[in-house]
Amino acid sequence: MNHMERQAPRPSHFASSTVPHSKSVSLRNVSKTFGDTRVLHDLSLDVHAGEFLVLLGESGCGKTTALRIIAGLESASEGSIYVGENDVTQQLPRDRDVAMVFQSYALYPHKTVFENIAYPLIVRKRAKAEIDAAVRDVAASVHLEPQLDRYPRQLSGGQRQRVALARAIVRRPAAFLMDEPLSNLDAKLRGHMRAELKHMQHELGVTTIYVTHDQIEAMTLAHRVALIDKGVLQQLDVPARIYSDPANLFVAGFIGSPPMNFLRGTLANNRFEAEGLTLVADVNHHGEAVLGVRPEDCMLVTAADGEFRGHIYSVELIGDHSLVTLNVGEQQIVVKVSNMFAGEIGMEVGLRANRERVYFFDQRSGLRIRQC
Amino acid sequence: MFVLPAVLLILGFSIFPLVTSAYLSLVRFSLGEGGYELKFVGMRNYVRLFSGSQQFHFVGVFRPPGMISFSVMVAAALATGWWLFSYLRGGHRSLVGGIGRLITAASLLALVWLTANTVGHGGELGSLMVTLFYVVFGVALQFLLGLGLAYLCTLPLKGGRFFRILFFLPLMVTPVGIAYMFRMMADTAVGPLAPVWAWLGLGQIAWAADPWLARIVVIIGDTWQWVPFMFLVLLAALEGTSRDQIEAAQLDGASNWRIFRDVTWPSIAPVAASAVLIRLIEAFKVVDLPNVLTNGGPGIATESMTLHAFIEWRTLNLGGASAVAYMLFFVSTIACVSFFQLVVRRARGGQS
Amino acid sequence: MIRRLFVPARLDEIPIGTRVIAYGLLGLWTLVVLFPLYWMAITSFKLPIDVSNGPAYVPFIDFKPSLDAWHYIFVDLGPDTFRPYVNSLIIATFSTAAAVFLGSIAAYALARIEYRPPVAAVGLGVLMLAVVVAAVGWGGVDLRIAVAVCGAFFFLLLRPIIRRARRHFANDDILFWIISQRILPPVVTVIPIYLTFKSIGLLDTRSALIITYATANVPIVVWLMFDFFASVPKEIEESAQIDGATRFAILFGIVVPLVAPGIVATGLLVLILSWNEYLFALFLSTANAQTLPLLVAAQNATRGPQWWNMSVLILIMILPVMLLTLTLQRFIVKGILVGAVKG
Repeated sequence: MNHMERQAPRPSHFASSTVPHSKSVSLRNVSKTFGDTRVLHDLSLDVHAGEFLVLLGESGCGKTTALRIIAGLESASEGSIYVGENDVTQQLPRDRDVAMVFQSYALYPHKTVFENIAYPLIVRKRAKAEIDAAVRDVAASVHLEPQLDRYPRQLSGGQRQRVALARAIVRRPAAFLMDEPLSNLDAKLRGHMRAELKHMQHELGVTTIYVTHDQIEAMTLAHRVALIDKGVLQQLDVPARIYSDPANLFVAGFIGSPPMNFLRGTLANNRFEAEGLTLVADVNHHGEAVLGVRPEDCMLVTAADGEFRGHIYSVELIGDHSLVTLNVGEQQIVVKVSNMFAGEIGMEVGLRANRERVYFFDQRSGLRIRQC
Repeated sequence: MFVLPAVLLILGFSIFPLVTSAYLSLVRFSLGEGGYELKFVGMRNYVRLFSGSQQFHFVGVFRPPGMISFSVMVAAALATGWWLFSYLRGGHRSLVGGIGRLITAASLLALVWLTANTVGHGGELGSLMVTLFYVVFGVALQFLLGLGLAYLCTLPLKGGRFFRILFFLPLMVTPVGIAYMFRMMADTAVGPLAPVWAWLGLGQIAWAADPWLARIVVIIGDTWQWVPFMFLVLLAALEGTSRDQIEAAQLDGASNWRIFRDVTWPSIAPVAASAVLIRLIEAFKVVDLPNVLTNGGPGIATESMTLHAFIEWRTLNLGGASAVAYMLFFVSTIACVSFFQLVVRRARGGQS
Repeated sequence: MIRRLFVPARLDEIPIGTRVIAYGLLGLWTLVVLFPLYWMAITSFKLPIDVSNGPAYVPFIDFKPSLDAWHYIFVDLGPDTFRPYVNSLIIATFSTAAAVFLGSIAAYALARIEYRPPVAAVGLGVLMLAVVVAAVGWGGVDLRIAVAVCGAFFFLLLRPIIRRARRHFANDDILFWIISQRILPPVVTVIPIYLTFKSIGLLDTRSALIITYATANVPIVVWLMFDFFASVPKEIEESAQIDGATRFAILFGIVVPLVAPGIVATGLLVLILSWNEYLFALFLSTANAQTLPLLVAAQNATRGPQWWNMSVLILIMILPVMLLTLTLQRFIVKGILVGAVKG
């Protein structure tokens, strides 16, 4: 990553769809229990006004539950939710001034695209002329004008998704909530829509909370990412630091494709030892530890030059690069090499790692052991 | 072949009798020595029903025409005329569709005319109108009650399962049994509700002697039996409504009533229409309730057309009985097919 | 203040006001459902004097329960009670079995095989039927001769018609025709059926009712089972075909076990319909083949409203059905719903 941070955008003057009253959203010590299962543990988050925050995690980690609690579709067992300065914890969804885009889009099948987009305004009893202008304006901004008289069943997946977006935009809410909006699209369309979403959020400057399990979406779209595992917040940070400065094993292993290599061993006397390798470690820690290093931060050299050695287990040509899997002792490590690499299975090679990109984690707690 | 036995059975027991019945409706049956004799008399049986000696039985007694009936007729004629006209001017025209709508319109007008001229002071309802009364009001009542109960059961209340199983019960009771049960209950002297009647001051009213009260009691029995059916079907439909759409509407700011109107109702419309159609088809055939509950009485006030046919048959008027039966066939077919084309089709088409 | 009762206190909860009304209405309907049944049950334990003295609501408090009525029905009237009961049992069971069997086969065929009867051939068939009826009724021709002649004509003309036929019915049409048989009010067909059975000498027999009920219920079976059969993936049957199984073997060995719940549901539904059937029994039976509904209805004619005896009769009539239903209600609900929602 070249740039270290992305700034939250200043609200731009994009036609009349700018949302001047975009607000911050906060979760304070929110917990949620379903029956006997605790789904969220004491979650606290502050989303800045105008920020694009992604809730990232695997299926079942609680991210969608957190989103629904913000929306008011579920109640929090403990804790409170704030939109701007207001405590909305006990308020009904319709009073919270948030809009949501569902994974299934939740379009009304018997209403036209126009009527779908207009629905939030119709329900609030706005004047007909005002509704008409607002809907056409928003439809233009998402390129849906020719489809206004059609029905959802006549639209493609991408078009339906834009209708769902338009319906959320037209209300000019304080915040957008999005529940995996791209997961129902095919891969090519997904990439295209990612760019569209990013552009739109930048133009509108609306606070957006976005739920996904796809780390690529998280890294490319977010100003900040909140990684959640089993209902517990793991790390809340800008994508660059999530990538380069993971707080624990989970974060380190979740982000990055191919994933970070983990080698188990012991830390003692400033040295990391595992079967087949010894490494100088500039950390003050004793005990079982895990060494983490990304495939792209490793380099293959001759057996003699390496910091440690291993035997080639397999070589996979990806296209613009190759992945080499090495056996180091009982464990394996994957290294990204150039696509011209000509090694053979069984060959002994040496490994060098970028010092600054080697991470240590306590094996029991998973927490990162930082350099002194 | 697989289908053949079923087809043959139906042929033998439906088509053949159907055709025979048609023929029978055109004859006069008389008992002679050693057997019976069938004499072909053309449409006389039908004519008797509509304007002859059986008119009071089938069509009813006409009341003196008044301003109200006249204006109702005119309004209905204008409305149906406009409806036909807009269809003809619309995009999807077809010969079959046009003829169908013409038949429906004509039947509707005849119905309105009949209603205007037999209901109320001085007029008496015949079996045709009584059957229609049972069908229209009975099914409407059952639908509304079923919908209400189903909606209540979709709320997160404790004991939902218990209610569902319980409400299912009446469907299993034999209609004849239901008729007697309600006859017992409605007894104003020794029935369980006697204290209630007395308290309301109605203790001396014999409901069995008043035409309209008797008809209402029949509808009560019919409703008790059939609400479970509507309840079950509508409950399933309500539970099948997309939760995402409801939540989206909630977030959009809609009140509960609006959500029902804009999301839930369109979602259950196809199933509801089918259920009403099924119920309509069955409702036309009602015979056990009026027979056992009121014996068709007082007089002929609660006779449905099937019961009417049965009574004719008992008096050995085979021709007349067949004629009434055929009229029922026509009326119920026109009603059901019209309902299907105009309501069910449209409800189904609105879904993606 | 009243408004506050209807606003939810917490997010997931229903406001108190709404809850009270909802429970109230549901409770009211529960009362409506249960009270008539309760009343009938306790009436069966009453003596005539208990009934004519005015309404008595609670046993042991308002009146002394007695088994008089039960004794009367079962012992004094013994054979007169058992005969209709046994009749109902036999008729319902056999007609249901027949209807389910024939209907399922037909439904399976319609779901898997493509039929294309030419429109002209069907028209010809109906025409020949009409000719038979007219000839017998009008011209006084003997039934067997008429059938023979028309039958011959039909088969003679069948070949050339099939060869030249251009418009055909499809499976959908056949299905629709079968299902539309339900619209036909039974009263229309009952008189000719009566005459037919009379001429064969089968009036007032169980067989007559078994045949009639089976025929009347086949359309329902076809309608409900069609959806079940159609939902069985074709691949399963195709792989069995490749393995060399005959059509019958596939049907009974593989498909039927898969649609078993559907068969149970449909069978139950048809059983209940046959058990409760009134009209055909009314026309076609008098003494020997009397079914329970007829017995109950007949009480009125002979003795006037003897509520206590009637209650016993009605109870024994509805108890088997209710018990059967309660134990298997999940199947029935699924069966009705598949038909209603899809059909």
